[in-house]
Amino acid sequence: MFHWESTPLTGISFLGMVIGAVVVLGIALAVVTYAIYFERKFIGWMQLRIGPNRVGPLGLFQSFADILKLLIKEDVIPDKADRIMFLLAPVIAFVPSFMVLAVIPFSSTHVFTAGLNVGVLYYLAISAITILGVVLGGWASNNKYSLIGGMRSAAQMISYEIPLGLSIVGVVLLSGSLNMNVIVAHQAKMWFIIPQIIGFVVFIIAGLAELNRTPFDLPEAESELVAGYHTEYSGFRFAFFMLTEYVYAFALAALATTLFLGGWSGPFLPSWLWFVIKTAAVIFFLFWVRATMPRMRGDQLMSFAWKVLIPVALFNLLLTGGLYLL
Amino acid sequence: MSTEDNNTSDTVKATPTASAAAKPAAKPAKAALPPDPRVVAALANGETIKTALNQKLGVPIVVEVSASKAVPILIIDKAYWVQAVQFLRDDALQSYDYLRMFSGTDYPNYIEIAIHLVSRQHNTALYVKTRTERDLAVVPSLTGLFQGVNWEEREVYDLLGVHFEGHPDLRRIMMWEGWKGYPLRKDYSPFEDLDERGGNV
Amino acid sequence: MAELRSEEMVLNVGPQHPSTHGVFRLVVTLDGEQIVDADPVVGYLHRGTEKLAEDLQYTQIIPYTDRLDYLSSMLNNYALVHTIEYAMDLEVPARAEYLRVIVMELNRVASHLVFTGTYLLDLGAMSPFLYAFMERETIVELFNEICGARLTYNYMRVGGVKWDAPNGWLQKVRDFVLHMREKMRMYHNLISGNEIFLNRVKGIGVITQEDAINFAMSGINLRSTGINWDLRKNVPYGIYDQFDFNVIVAEHGDCLDRYWIHMKEIEESLKIVEQALDKISEGPVLGKVPKMIRVPAGEYYRGIEGSRGELGVYIVSDGKDKPYRLKLRRPSFVNLQILKKLLIGQNMANMIAILGAVDIVLGEVDG
Repeated sequence: MFHWESTPLTGISFLGMVIGAVVVLGIALAVVTYAIYFERKFIGWMQLRIGPNRVGPLGLFQSFADILKLLIKEDVIPDKADRIMFLLAPVIAFVPSFMVLAVIPFSSTHVFTAGLNVGVLYYLAISAITILGVVLGGWASNNKYSLIGGMRSAAQMISYEIPLGLSIVGVVLLSGSLNMNVIVAHQAKMWFIIPQIIGFVVFIIAGLAELNRTPFDLPEAESELVAGYHTEYSGFRFAFFMLTEYVYAFALAALATTLFLGGWSGPFLPSWLWFVIKTAAVIFFLFWVRATMPRMRGDQLMSFAWKVLIPVALFNLLLTGGLYLL
Repeated sequence: MSTEDNNTSDTVKATPTASAAAKPAAKPAKAALPPDPRVVAALANGETIKTALNQKLGVPIVVEVSASKAVPILIIDKAYWVQAVQFLRDDALQSYDYLRMFSGTDYPNYIEIAIHLVSRQHNTALYVKTRTERDLAVVPSLTGLFQGVNWEEREVYDLLGVHFEGHPDLRRIMMWEGWKGYPLRKDYSPFEDLDERGGNV
Repeated sequence: MAELRSEEMVLNVGPQHPSTHGVFRLVVTLDGEQIVDADPVVGYLHRGTEKLAEDLQYTQIIPYTDRLDYLSSMLNNYALVHTIEYAMDLEVPARAEYLRVIVMELNRVASHLVFTGTYLLDLGAMSPFLYAFMERETIVELFNEICGARLTYNYMRVGGVKWDAPNGWLQKVRDFVLHMREKMRMYHNLISGNEIFLNRVKGIGVITQEDAINFAMSGINLRSTGINWDLRKNVPYGIYDQFDFNVIVAEHGDCLDRYWIHMKEIEESLKIVEQALDKISEGPVLGKVPKMIRVPAGEYYRGIEGSRGELGVYIVSDGKDKPYRLKLRRPSFVNLQILKKLLIGQNMANMIAILGAVDIVLGEVDG
């Protein structure tokens, strides 16, 4: 419909792009708000509890209440903290999470999607920038525990980038392109999850670790000693880090949908609805794992990435390449 | 330390619903109470152990032998406290290797440390006690033999004021450093000299 | 090459901390990630029970014992009451004895459920905590019916128990036993085979047999090393010699063994409750006791198998109605001494797993 890349840049098209970006931001924030609400509800139901049900009908306004609470908190900046870095870290962490949504095809008409020919690579590269924000947050807090937590978190995220990337290469091999739209088009007959089942498993596990979610949430666990990189952050800056985590959860689920579950393709229902259903299913799976699993220890987590996931991902590549040749 | 059970008459007298028939039965019971056979056996056991101990260590270190129901009690001179317990733990006939309880009690003239030992091998039990003066209460520490008395000795030090010689880390455990006074002693009053003592922080 | 300068960092865990199970402070000296020294500091919950007891009549001390190991109040009550009855040679009616066994073993189950829930919570799994408390809620409601309280029961008296079971209570207990047995399968499905859980607790915090005896450990910590010592069998008290149950002993002495023994002991306790339900008969629940309870002069010590180890009461009496000295032998206090030895050389992440497996309750540590 809108072919931004082939029409010359006029004032109107620029305005259109800005509005589009704002709309996607709005959608992302709405998704995050209700993802938080549904996480609490689902985990509550799995634990024989009700979950939030007071604020608004069925507790639907709970996230707004939480955000309002965080907004009106006092903005505390530690005295000896590096002020500029301290203020910059949440921004550096959050902005990439929103930027990666640009390449995800939400529907068959690709309204807000940039049809980048290196879409997958763009996603991986931009999402790695968040790690900078994490380390910066840990460093700028001037707190040895935050620093250790930030380092651990960064080490974990960097280590799991590799299996994440490797698991995607199988999909790229099968579809012959890094362009997300092309990948979705190739899944019209069969979703890539079937030939790439090993890749999908590696992707989900590595994705969980990227998101710092249970069972890989050692860097931010409350019952551990070192409280993590966002200890010193309060109020809305803390909300930024939380927002980052949930927007990434949405982005990762969207990526999983696009690469493995056929994107927006599906019979009968409108394409965007299929996209919503599949993404919601992946997000639900993430919540489910959080309710069920205990936490992995730091050293076990790292050795799992390097000694188990990477060999499995490489094996998957070998298999895909071999079968593709045949 | 007498352990004869002579309370039966109290029991009958205190019950208001005791029938008239019960009362005459109480009188002959008051007259001659046969000694509890468990206590007799325990005392005999105690004497055996006392002989063994005295023999082994060469000096008469056992001050007294008594019994609590079926368990013999030996009171040992505190100078030989560690050696006696070591003998009881290591000797093949005794082998009291499991320490069930460690306690301190404040009496008018002395402070008493009591431990309850069990021999898992022979399935026997034994109380061993020692006494020390109330001022400058010093007792050798058993931490070299049983590491499990470390905190118990610290608690007795904290609450009763007994100093254990040879204890690796004798400091207060329940009360905080700087507290003066020994709460479990009978002459301790919680209300006097609170500021001096370290209270009212 | 110059020596790398390394500093040791002193870290304070507690007294307020989500994983220390109460007001407990652990001063840890770290060299990087490794623990070089660990010094537990206790006494934050010390309430002077032993000193207070010297001014109270024996029956008045019973509510104080409730608050020692507040997760197993029935067992604490029993420790005191049993010692007094042992000293006075009192007869307890049969119905009271069976009721006592039923509530004590149910309380043991409830306490072990709390261990399971909180241990898994420390390790990061949120859900088993809520499931364990769901089952515990049933037990606590049963206790509420029989004695009016949910946590601190004050149920036992010298010579029996205070209140008889209301109508239908015994049937509810029977239903609960069947229900709990089924639920144990769910717990095992959820937790016991979980790879992540096993990786975190297997081979961690190993206690050797010599250490266990030397440190005067008791209860599950002792049995996890392979030593078969359960006071219900070795020094039987009450009517425990009439019941047919197994003593669970493990081999390796690590945290996983302790978790397993807790789970298996729940099943054994349910067996005992069932047998007691079969054998219980009608009758009085409080025996003939004098109005004023006076323990004959002398000293007496009795220890029972509490849910955390040997819970003992040592009474020195001079014949009056108040004890001259009441000493409480508290298993968590004694068991905690091994923590220092277990933690040195470990890395930080294992600290929580080891501390959780020792299974302490601060009310009992501090008394």
